[in-house]
This record gives sequence, structure tokens and C-alpha cells, in this order.
Amino acid sequence: MLAYATRKLLISIPVLFFATLVAFLLVATVDPIAEQRVFLLSQPGGAEQVARLEASLGLDKPLIERYGTWLGDLAQGDMGASTENGRAVTTLLGEAIPVTMRLVVAATVISVVFGVAVGVISAVRKYSVFDNVSTFFAFLFFAMPVFWLGAVLKDLGIRFNDWWGHRVFFTIGEQSPRLDADFWGTWADRAGHIILPALTLILIQLAATSRFQRSAMLDVLESDYVRTARAKGVPRRRVITRHALRNALLPVVSYTGLTFGTLIGGTVVTEVVFNWQGMGRLFLDSLLDGDVAVSQGWLLAVGVSVIAVNLLTDLVYGLLDPRVRHG
Amino acid sequence: MSAGEPVPDKPMPGGATGQPDSTAILSVRDLRVDFETDDGVVQAVRGVSWDVYEGEVLAIAGESGSGKSVSVLAAMGLLPPDARVSGSISHRGRELLGMPEKKLERLRGSAMSMVFQDPMTSLNPVMSVGDQIAEGVRVHQKLKRHQARERAAELLDLVGIADAARRVDAYPHEFSGGMRQRAMIAMAIANDPDVLIADEPTTALDVTIQAQILDVLERARQAVDSALILITHDLGVVARTAHRLFVMYAGRTAETGMIDDVFEHPVHPYTAGLLAAIPRLDTPRGRRLIPIEGSPPSMLAPPPGCAFQPRCGRASDLCTKYPPPPLTLVSPPAHLSACHHPLDPQQSTSPLQNPNGEDSDA
Repeated sequence: MLAYATRKLLISIPVLFFATLVAFLLVATVDPIAEQRVFLLSQPGGAEQVARLEASLGLDKPLIERYGTWLGDLAQGDMGASTENGRAVTTLLGEAIPVTMRLVVAATVISVVFGVAVGVISAVRKYSVFDNVSTFFAFLFFAMPVFWLGAVLKDLGIRFNDWWGHRVFFTIGEQSPRLDADFWGTWADRAGHIILPALTLILIQLAATSRFQRSAMLDVLESDYVRTARAKGVPRRRVITRHALRNALLPVVSYTGLTFGTLIGGTVVTEVVFNWQGMGRLFLDSLLDGDVAVSQGWLLAVGVSVIAVNLLTDLVYGLLDPRVRHG
Repeated sequence: MSAGEPVPDKPMPGGATGQPDSTAILSVRDLRVDFETDDGVVQAVRGVSWDVYEGEVLAIAGESGSGKSVSVLAAMGLLPPDARVSGSISHRGRELLGMPEKKLERLRGSAMSMVFQDPMTSLNPVMSVGDQIAEGVRVHQKLKRHQARERAAELLDLVGIADAARRVDAYPHEFSGGMRQRAMIAMAIANDPDVLIADEPTTALDVTIQAQILDVLERARQAVDSALILITHDLGVVARTAHRLFVMYAGRTAETGMIDDVFEHPVHPYTAGLLAAIPRLDTPRGRRLIPIEGSPPSMLAPPPGCAFQPRCGRASDLCTKYPPPPLTLVSPPAHLSACHHPLDPQQSTSPLQNPNGEDSDA
């Protein structure tokens, strides 16, 4: 297992390096002063102003040199500063990441746990009422765009609050501003804020995960080794948990790792719908402002998180499947 | 010619009629298995009866789709839920059909156990071989973890896995096909079953190790002193292993009897055809094997008469109109066949016995 983990870790290094290159080039190949350039060049003496602007942004240097400088700074923990407000990118990311992490971790954990449970029950009781109902809702939610589901849930949340006469669901922000509460009060407030956006992500993820788990489980239940376990007289419940589920988890583990990037995309949209000040908002603002350093830093941070999650799923896979860790 | 007298009720190994034989370990009576499919009802088994007795090796032979595997899976209670099973299967006088799953679980893997065809897919890939054997032991016996593990190592040693004490911790993918089948056999004898069922145990294996696995199976059977039901389409395997043979065709019994009787004097044209199709080392050079032309009928709509009739050289109008008669005694003690036009046992000589002689079917 140690050799397997080391190998996976080593493979991540070139991937990580490649991620820095992509994060840099995706943004650096776009001209951040395109509009000003057109305007300034139409003015007398505009050419010098453009040159000065380019020099201040480092645009006068060749791309490879700019990448080298960016990478060098990065190695020292310096990701540059926002051209909008002058704050360090690391600080901005440091503020946004924990907010988004709460949402992503909650959505992933809950959707995987429930998705696996729903998928297993659906497979074991194939074509039962439970299976049919869960199939219906899975396709319903899977077909919904994130922004739309988010907006519907937000609207329903507001209506519920009105009907109840007390605000249960918060639909704006990740926590109440200027909240002065003790530890539990803070958590209760955060929980009230996280429910609806998390539910948005969970319903969509859960739909896909449960379908995936169901089909994996159905395959495994038909397998020869499940029949062998039954032939040994192993009780049904143990056949399902010990033999079938353990094997049927493998594709779902891979799937969860692979769709993590999609989840981040969904999070960006959800955060905007619910006005969270997280990674989603940071990215959108940086794009609208043409804020090069923030955009690059954001892409890199997300790239690193995707690599990390895939490393994690590889390790979990290795724990579950001896063929992989010996191979 | 029509051979022999009707079958007496008692005690006729492989008997076709009457009550389950309580002196048998497994007694099957008029077993029928249907599968509901989108295309219609597949009649996999259409009324077969057989018994297996203490310590004997019963071979059930037939082509793919003849219902041989389905019959024993029915006995184990391992058919998929869409199978409709009727008739009777009893284990030492206890009816298995309709038995609650909990009770059946107690018998499976202890009184009756099974070795499957494909060892590559029959072991759980994420559990160590030792754990899988030990699990079977602990389901039926009150043993501590380490005791079950030691038992697993003993069993692996018994089936000829070298360095068994270390190999218990190996995973299936670290074993070759032959080793995996040995592990399956170890698993099957873990609780001293009184009947061991092997469903084409050598079919998926390399020819060079098929004989080894048959030897291991026989050694394992003797170690636990159980009966063995060997399902195979390979009459060569039957010849070297079994005491008694049961030939199935299209879900029905064609012929059954002691190995020597059936091999020396096959009376059912299908059995005779199978024997004529076996290659032999002492066959003269240039002599061709005689295949059975055609292929078995679809069990979605089996022909109304004898299912073998379209492929049979002896078929008459009788065969197209009426199903074959019930199993009829050819010669005591246990040679029976179900055919409108059986061969004369005195004249029929198997090509196996007489490679230079005339074709039995001619």
C-alpha cells in the first residue's frame, strides 16, 4: 500500500506542474487591457500610455519569462495581488476557500452517503416502489440545471419562512453579518445558511451517484462471486454488505473523484445564486474585473484541489481493491 | 424394438417415478424449471428425476442448455428469482423446494456445497482467499477467527496449494486459474458436506491442468467422504471419474446407468452419438470423428415430440408426434433410457470400446 501511495503521489507532481502551466496560460494569453488599448490608441500620445500600462503589468515581457516569474513567486508563496483592490491573492483565497469548503464537503459527504444507500436499496429491491420512486426523482433532479434548482429552492425557502412566520432558511450569504453569538449560536446560524445551497448541490449529485451505485450494485449482484458467497451459506445481509457492496463501491469512488470538478462548477453557480462570499463569487468578480492574478490563483487553487481529491480517491480505491494496490 | 420392462418403484438409482428416495442424499423427482423471459417461457428443465447416494460419483452430462446446471442450481436454491421451479428436491428426506431461505442457508455450504465453472470470476476479488474460506467455515461452525484461519490453511494444504500457511493471505488475483479452482474446492469441503456439486469444474481451465483438478476433486471428496455430482459435457472426464452417468438432452433424461453399462452398450441414439464423437488415442490414423449434426432445439419452443428427433438417424413419425416414453429399464441394475427407438444393447457397441468396429448408430 505504501508503494502504491508513493507512486500515486509521485505521479501527481508532473500533473501539478502542468496545472500551473494551464492556470497561467489560460489567463495570460488573454489581453487584460484590450478595451483600454483600443480607447488609448485612439487618443493622442496613447501609444506611450499603453506602453507604460503594459510595463506596469509586465505585459512587455515574453510569455515564458512572465510564467517563470509567476512560478518563482508562487514557490515563495506569493501569488501576486489583485489589480482591483491591491489585496494579496493568497489572502483572498484564504478567505474564500473555507467558505466554499463548507459547502463542497457537506454536499459531497451527504450526497455520497445517501447516494450509496439509495443505490444499494434500489438495486437489492429492483423494480420495487422505492426503486421506481427514487429513479423518478433521480432523473428529475439530474435533468435540472444547477442555477434553476438553486433559484427554485431559494424561492421555496422564502415562502416557507413567510408561512412559518419565522426565518428558518437563510437565502443570502454564508452567515449573518455582524453575528454576535456563542459557539453553538454561530453553528446554528451557519447551518441555517448552508441548508438550501447545499441541498441544491446534494440533490443533483445524489441523483447521479445513486444511479451509478444502483447499476454497479446490480452488476455485482449478478456476479459469480456473489453466487459463491450464497453457495457457502452466507446470510443474505452479509452477502450484500461484505461481498456485493464492497465491490460495487469501486466504480462509485472513481466517479466521485472524476465529478469533483463538475461539483466545483456547480458550486460557483450556487454561490452566486445564494450570494455567498466564497470561491464562486471571487472567480466571477475576477473575471468581470479582468483581474489577472486572482483568476490565475483561483484556477490554480481549484486545479490543486481536483488533483488532491483524485489522489484521495486513488488511495481509497487502493484500500478497497487489492488488485490495484499490488499492481 | 422396444427394450425392457417398466421401471420398478423402488429402489432404482436414477429412478424416474414415485416418491423421493429417502436412502438417497439428494433425491430429485419430476423437476421442472421455467424462466420467464421477454421472448416467452424458456423450459430449461422438463421433468427429470434422479438420486445421488452416499459416496458415489454421479455425472450429469449434456450439451450447453440441456438443463444440467439448472437442475443442480435448483437443488442449491441458487436460481434467479424469475425461475419457476416445480417437482421435488429432497435432501435426506427433507424437501428443499419451498424451504425458507434461512433454513436453506444453513444447508448450503455445509450439507451441500458447490464448485463452479469459472474460477477466475467465482472468487471475490477484494477478499483474501483465506478470508473467503474462513468465512464459509465460520458461517456454519462456532470457531474463533484464528481457528477458522488455521482451518483455511489446512484446507488449502489439502487441495495441494504449496506453502498454504503463507498463501492464506493471498488475494485471488495472485493465484493462477488452477490454484483458484483448488481454493474453490477447499471452500466447498470446508464443512464436511455430504454432497459436493461440481459444475463443469475443469471447463474454464487450461487443458494441462484439467486432470490435476479432477484428481484434487476426487481427493477432496474422499477426505470428507461425500457424494459428488459432476456436471460436464466431457465424456472423457466422465469415464475417468464417475460411477454412474446421467445423460440429459433438452431438459429431459436421455439415458442413465452405471458407467460401464452406458459406455459399452449405449441404447439412446444421442448417447451413442456422443460416444462416437470422442477422439481417442488408439483410433486409427485418418479415421474421422463422427459429429452429431445440427444443434439442440430452442427451449423457448421445444418440438412437441422427441427433442432429439431432428438430429436422429433413427427417428420416425412417432418421434415427431409424441414425446419419448418414460425411462425404461434396459438392463439391471440401473441402466435406463427414454427413446421410441432405442438401439439394441446386445448389438450396440460403443466406438469407445471398439474403435475399429462399426459405428454404433449405423
